[in-house]
Amino acid sequence: MILSLLIFLPLIGALVVALLPDNQHIPFKWLTLGVAMAELLLSVVAYTQFDQQQAGYQLLEQADWITLPLGNLGVVSIDYLLGVDGISLPLVVLSSVILLIGVLSSWTIENRQKAYFSLYLLLSGTIMGCFVALDFFLFFLFFEFMLLPMYFLIGLWGGPRREYASIKFFLYTLLGSVLILLVMIGLYLSVMDPVSTAVMAGLATDAASVDQDLIRLVQAQLADMHISSSQIVHTFDLRYMADGGNYLPNAFLSGAGETTFWGIPARMIAFWAVFLGFAIKLPIVPLHTWLPDAHVEAPTPVSVVLAGVLLKIGGYGFIRIAWGLFPDGGAQYAQTLAGLGVLSIVYGGLNALAQNDLKKMIAYSSVSHMGFVLLGVASLTSEGINGAIYQMVSHGVLSAMLFLIVGVIYDRTHDRRIDSYRGLLQVMPHYAVLTAVAFFGSLGLPGFSGFVGELFTLMGGFQSLWLPGWLPSVAVSGIVLAAAYLLWSLQRMFFGPLWTRDGVESTLTDLNGRERLMLIPLGLLALLLGLLPNVLFNLSNATVAQWLEKFNV
Amino acid sequence: MINDHVFSLQLVTTLLLLLPFTGFPVLLGVGKRLAGPLAVCLTGGGLLLSGWLAMHMPEAPVALSTSWAGLTGWNLPFSLRIDTLTVMMLLVVHFVALLVQLYSISYLHNEPERHPRYFAYLQLFVGAMLGIVLAGNLIVLYAFWELVGLASYLLIGFWTFKPQASKAATKAFLMNRIGDAGFLIGILMTYRLLHTTEFSLLTGEAGITQLPAWVGLCLFMGCVGKSAQFPLLTWLPDAMEGPTPVSALLHAATMVAAGIFLLARIHPLLPPDALMVVAVVGTITALWGGYSALFQNDIKKVLAFSTVSQLGLMVAGMGTGNVSGALFHLLTHAFFKAGLFLSAGAVIHAVHTQDMREMGGLRKALPSTFAVYAICTAALAGLPFFSGFLSKEAILSGAFAWAGEQGSGIAWLIPVTLLLSSGLTALYMARQLQLVFGGDGRYTVPHVHGPDARMRIPLFLLAALSLFIGFSVNPLSAHGSWFFALFGAEEAEGPVWLAPASLLLALAGGWVGYRYAPGWITQTAPPSVWVRLSVEYGFLDRFYHWLIIAPVEHLAALTKQHDEAVAKEQAAPKSSHVIRSVYHAERGIVDGLVRGLGVGTVVLAHIVHAFDRLIIDGIVNGAVWLAAQTGQMVRSVQNGRIQSYVTAAVVGLLALLWWLL
Repeated sequence: MILSLLIFLPLIGALVVALLPDNQHIPFKWLTLGVAMAELLLSVVAYTQFDQQQAGYQLLEQADWITLPLGNLGVVSIDYLLGVDGISLPLVVLSSVILLIGVLSSWTIENRQKAYFSLYLLLSGTIMGCFVALDFFLFFLFFEFMLLPMYFLIGLWGGPRREYASIKFFLYTLLGSVLILLVMIGLYLSVMDPVSTAVMAGLATDAASVDQDLIRLVQAQLADMHISSSQIVHTFDLRYMADGGNYLPNAFLSGAGETTFWGIPARMIAFWAVFLGFAIKLPIVPLHTWLPDAHVEAPTPVSVVLAGVLLKIGGYGFIRIAWGLFPDGGAQYAQTLAGLGVLSIVYGGLNALAQNDLKKMIAYSSVSHMGFVLLGVASLTSEGINGAIYQMVSHGVLSAMLFLIVGVIYDRTHDRRIDSYRGLLQVMPHYAVLTAVAFFGSLGLPGFSGFVGELFTLMGGFQSLWLPGWLPSVAVSGIVLAAAYLLWSLQRMFFGPLWTRDGVESTLTDLNGRERLMLIPLGLLALLLGLLPNVLFNLSNATVAQWLEKFNV
Repeated sequence: MINDHVFSLQLVTTLLLLLPFTGFPVLLGVGKRLAGPLAVCLTGGGLLLSGWLAMHMPEAPVALSTSWAGLTGWNLPFSLRIDTLTVMMLLVVHFVALLVQLYSISYLHNEPERHPRYFAYLQLFVGAMLGIVLAGNLIVLYAFWELVGLASYLLIGFWTFKPQASKAATKAFLMNRIGDAGFLIGILMTYRLLHTTEFSLLTGEAGITQLPAWVGLCLFMGCVGKSAQFPLLTWLPDAMEGPTPVSALLHAATMVAAGIFLLARIHPLLPPDALMVVAVVGTITALWGGYSALFQNDIKKVLAFSTVSQLGLMVAGMGTGNVSGALFHLLTHAFFKAGLFLSAGAVIHAVHTQDMREMGGLRKALPSTFAVYAICTAALAGLPFFSGFLSKEAILSGAFAWAGEQGSGIAWLIPVTLLLSSGLTALYMARQLQLVFGGDGRYTVPHVHGPDARMRIPLFLLAALSLFIGFSVNPLSAHGSWFFALFGAEEAEGPVWLAPASLLLALAGGWVGYRYAPGWITQTAPPSVWVRLSVEYGFLDRFYHWLIIAPVEHLAALTKQHDEAVAKEQAAPKSSHVIRSVYHAERGIVDGLVRGLGVGTVVLAHIVHAFDRLIIDGIVNGAVWLAAQTGQMVRSVQNGRIQSYVTAAVVGLLALLWWLL
């Protein structure tokens, strides 16, 4: 129930806002704020109800949604299936925090409030849906729906080149979606639902009586082709897709890998297709070029949500779908994949170093930091995967902070060029301190969450049996680059005598209460996670340990 | 009984770390009058606790540990270790930090509004430094190691309005980061190979597995950065932009010695090949620092390079297998160098300049400062009856003994170079003493006022600790000194002529420095290449710019241009034109790189270039075409109405299903 609420509360909110008359007196932002706070409360309740010792999915909700018998072709069954585990719950909590901060950051939106907040709520609901959906079809629906509000939020409330940026964002992500869609259909055709199939095949009277032994029996019968195709119930259930026993023999994506294209097993192609689909989202070099454009044009709150939450869907997709459903692909190409992660770390870092636009620099630093996520996942070690989840949460908090910081200066002067400012510390001391906190947190200073994320993903890279030692060694150069671009900016913008390019010193006021309310909690959160990493590791550890069993050789 | 003891050890170490780390935020919030005294009390309390530890020293090293980050079947503990070395470092850090803070109250009395921030940063430093010496494994050590870097950054850039200061702070942090990147690789490789980074397991009774030389050298990189060894030494002279008491504490006595401490911790893991490199790096640094100090005009820069040189000597001592000798020098150096910096601070405080050309004759105006300076200089130069003589002899004897064992003539270069560089020490220090205190006054301030009591007490204490008597009964040999007994080591036996020879060298150097060197600054003609070699410390900064900074900047610009070209191409696909412009843009960069990096980079650049062409020609064009086509198709449907989008999505999906089935 609680997960459904997480999804539908904002969706209903979006509908309500959309149906309300467009009137100046209606407090759309307060309404949205209320929903966001309720979301945070709900996710905290979900957190407390979650049993951290247990590895499997919890808080499950299941309902038949679409069932369509197709005669000889089996039965189409799409479920409304929700649940969380140690991989998704941290991201759900993160999302509710960032979305709440995003509402506060939207406070200054004056123009077309009704449409803005309606879309924002729609975005919130679809993000939550992505993280809690366990039916691939349902996941895909949310994944696609996310595009829509995002497209308009950038395209209508963005900067001067907003139309170009939003179209580019849309097309890139759509390309990824198409790849994911194709694989989803392939998987659907290759996987059965053992419980319903047992019922259909007459092995059980009803779904409730199916236990593990019976599932194994059904799987054995399936492997021996004792079940006729009309009795097989196909499914989009990610839990069943992750179990190799549920794949139909001779099917398109079956584990035996008999179907090949140009000599490459279909499963490997499918792995790369979903990998690319999510790699665009993360993003991974060279599929990252939409990100700086989208960030530069997006209004501050949308940047915050984009960097803080949306990118994480890429990393989540890696763990849940790309690696989770195709462990053989993850293992076989571990080195190449980790190499792509390292490339992102270094390329993103170098690019950040060359930027003069503060927002673009931070956008590229996101590319670099997300590279650590891929490195951690590709390492296939407990340290690496837990570290990747950690890095996602940590980056969510810190990048939200960084984009808010850009927003603060942009609100005041409409100029984001680093070399337009000197000595800001003199007039904006609180801003300077919080910027320093965010920068040092991002460059991996111990005590902040960034350190733990980078340390563990790197440790995973070094511990991995699949990777050579030099690969993570190259990744370490990322921490030098991060220190270089962040500290260099800090030095140029904040220290020395006060100076601005356009003589706008008088507009430079220090943080107001609302800005503090956004930045200080995020800074404290980064500190808390950095000092007590077990808060998060306890959550993810059991699930990751079970997840890794797929890779035991 | 034993449990009680462990419990009290836990309590004391926890308190030791808590005092400064709670002091940091608290001091940021207190009033400006309270900050200094409160900080002194905190560090004084820490000193008492360290004294208690010294009195209740456990016989065997004690490891304390709690879980910090735990995963299935694996735990990264927050572990601490207490042994002789820890306790010695605890005492040194607290003692010097206490004196420096006491001194700072007077030194910064003109800017009381900055006191809270200043003392808070110092407490942050003390806490981080204690973390380093208490760390029980390499990862905990690395965490505090980075925090010390932060404290150093904040304190070097303390005067935020000075552009030079913030530049120096950034430079210090970045150069240290380069070293730390190597250090981190070393730590994680150690973990990969030995499955632990706990000191108790790495070097305990279970036996010692030596690391491969390259991993050992990665660990050593941490020391190269933090202890300003060649080639990462240029941040230390720049760090002198910070307040002088900070230079005394961080950049002379304690923080820069952390690298030496690290070497002492990991020494057993380093194979002979790696130790050879360590010795060579230390020796080069000793000479490089000594020569660079010769022609400096800034009173603090001379001391900074002398610190570089002395750290090189310690590292060379480590490299030649003489751990206890190097640690002995760390100890004596902490006192006399802190004494020198604090007296230099008193001089700067009095004459309001750091330029030695505007000093002179201060022996009359500042007699007590002069006395302290002279004593500490004697210790630094290694004159008999002073502490530095004992510890330098310990390192040099060890180096000569080591060279004898190597059985190769080249090995003798190391002790001989070290001996020469200690002769240089006497030279540049005598020059400095003469320039600052000798001759006639060249200063412009009308009234020179000496240090007050709060500044004088630390100076006298440090001068007293620069005498031989605290360390050994015999003024001419540390043989049988409590120090070596404590570490269970014997002082290495060097050749008989070593002590007379080094004394002779010191006297000769001192005489040249006193008689001739002061004249080296009055020349107005353009400086000769030898002078510039010293003043610009071997042109290292230019070299970095040429070798690292410029190529990285080029590479960064290259990636930026590449992305911009891709974006441009996507915005308006006119491929031929864009490719040509990218090609020309990158040609310019490639040319720059060729100048910067030579033939090797050309190859790399061509690869990058080919890669770019491939991407732009192939993938991007394809993607753009596809995107444009899709865009055309989608645009009509994409009219913003959710319902139609859903309908289209579902219909499309079903159609696709139908087709596939």
